[in-house]
Amino acid sequence: MPEMRIINQNITPDTLPNFRNLGVALRIILIVNAAALFAVLPQAFSIQDLVRHMLSGSAYLQPTLLFCLLLLYILNKFISSMIYRRAVPFILVLVASVSWAVGQFTTLLFDPFAESSVFDSLRQMALSMLLTSLVLTYFRLRAQSLSPVLSAARIQALQARIRPHFLFNSINAVLGVVRSNPKQAEAALEDMADLFRMAMADNSELFTLKREVELSRQYLSLEQLRLGDRLNVNWQIQDMPEDALIPPLILQPLLENAVYHGIEPMYEGGEITIKIYRSGKQMHIEVRNPCQTKVKAHTGNKMALLNIRERLALKFDLEAQYNVDAAENYYHVHIQIPYLREESK
Amino acid sequence: MSVVDLPLTVFIVDDEPPARNRLKDLLTDCAEQLPLLVVGEAANGVEALDKLSEVQADVVLMDIRMPQMDGIELAQHLNKLHKPPVIVFTTAYDSYAISAFEHRAIDYLLKPVRLGRLFEALSRARAAVPVRSEVLQELTPEPRKYISIHERGKIVLLPIEKILYFRAELKYITVRTAEQEHLIEESLISLEKEFAARFVRIHRNCLVAKEEIEGFEKVAETDSSEAHWNVKLKGLNELLPISRRQQFIVKEFS
Repeated sequence: MPEMRIINQNITPDTLPNFRNLGVALRIILIVNAAALFAVLPQAFSIQDLVRHMLSGSAYLQPTLLFCLLLLYILNKFISSMIYRRAVPFILVLVASVSWAVGQFTTLLFDPFAESSVFDSLRQMALSMLLTSLVLTYFRLRAQSLSPVLSAARIQALQARIRPHFLFNSINAVLGVVRSNPKQAEAALEDMADLFRMAMADNSELFTLKREVELSRQYLSLEQLRLGDRLNVNWQIQDMPEDALIPPLILQPLLENAVYHGIEPMYEGGEITIKIYRSGKQMHIEVRNPCQTKVKAHTGNKMALLNIRERLALKFDLEAQYNVDAAENYYHVHIQIPYLREESK
Repeated sequence: MSVVDLPLTVFIVDDEPPARNRLKDLLTDCAEQLPLLVVGEAANGVEALDKLSEVQADVVLMDIRMPQMDGIELAQHLNKLHKPPVIVFTTAYDSYAISAFEHRAIDYLLKPVRLGRLFEALSRARAAVPVRSEVLQELTPEPRKYISIHERGKIVLLPIEKILYFRAELKYITVRTAEQEHLIEESLISLEKEFAARFVRIHRNCLVAKEEIEGFEKVAETDSSEAHWNVKLKGLNELLPISRRQQFIVKEFS
């Protein structure tokens, strides 16, 4: 149960990166090549010498690297189903095997009569395993730094998801209608329960877009209770693929931000426009709200937006984009994430 | 009938209708033990000031975060009334304001408001001393958006951006807009401090709006005065002299 895990364990379980992500592949290629450069640097006498060393190494290194990436791409689903402790040795063995195979093949190709030295093969395997450990450690540290590991950070992240201002004002609003309109109060409490369940759940999993939109509607109906006709919402989601998967609480905090900065400070209120659509392999989520010229930075709000950015970066790396267009009288957030569905998860 | 026997008059200011409802519900409950009367409600500071110049309230329960004019500014304007009401702030969550209230012993209620706490605050209200304006000013880094002018028992709000200059004369300060002159009872020093972003001092007795400066004119020495500069403001024929000490602004703004 995801809820139980949060209570019992302060530390996020280690997870491997998604090897099908372009950003992850690019990072691996960069790290490995940087390591190779470091390895040959002490041996080189001149630039030409350095280039020569790199090139001669590349004949072996690049095929190994590409084969490994290809295998990891194919096996990604299988690897991600394993627990971290098992997946790491598996990958190490995989890389060592590829390294051995490529070693044999290159010897055969370039130097068929040479005596294949056992020491050479072992050395290559050891080096490639060492490099793999380095890469995996990097991804582990990166995931830790981007996810709320420490309990303090967890609380902060939780606060970023449930803003106290919203919590207490909503409870106050429910109390305000409980005598005159008990039915409305009931519905509001139900919406609140759903919102908080989501906010407190493990948010490393993906949920359907349909669920997120439903949750956002519940959130907005709570705000409507407080703000009445000052809050107008324009949903443009007729082209939205309902089965698309997104990390939970991406849209809702954006709306909370729009209400807090765009609608609440305005006497006459305003309209929030939400646009969700798909173009090719990309999902687009856009939120636009009016705002007054002087928007003061609010720490809670900055934390919420930062939280969204970090979670998108952790989940999708370079494949997610987060753009803000802050003009004099409006604020527009545009998020792009890869279009994923249940079976391709 | 003595003053104590009169029901306590209460006015509610909050931009959220359910929040006002909640207070009204609770005030009805309080009324069973404490004679009180809700004399009105408003959705923001501007509306509240308009209504409060018609009715007299002993206590004003007000939200802090409201559009158009927030609670802190409303309190500053109410303080200038002949008989300022006792102000009780209500807030859902604002750690900065709460610690400021604690520090200065200003009464506040946390939302959701509890019956017991509201009752306590109302019971204390008769004996309470209004909070001083300087203390309220300290509560917020933001300058007021309006200057309140008391004319014939009514409160008139003058948006800061309409004001061309403030000039101290004897006991009062003249506030000049393109159309009119008004008198207020405030200190030029505190105005200068509060509105430093918008106004600049050109003379011991005068602050002018930086944005409204049209140009400067040099005045040659005469028998009665030394050579000096005058400021010309947009839409105003009047020329305002710059003192020798403030002459640097001629360079800065031209």
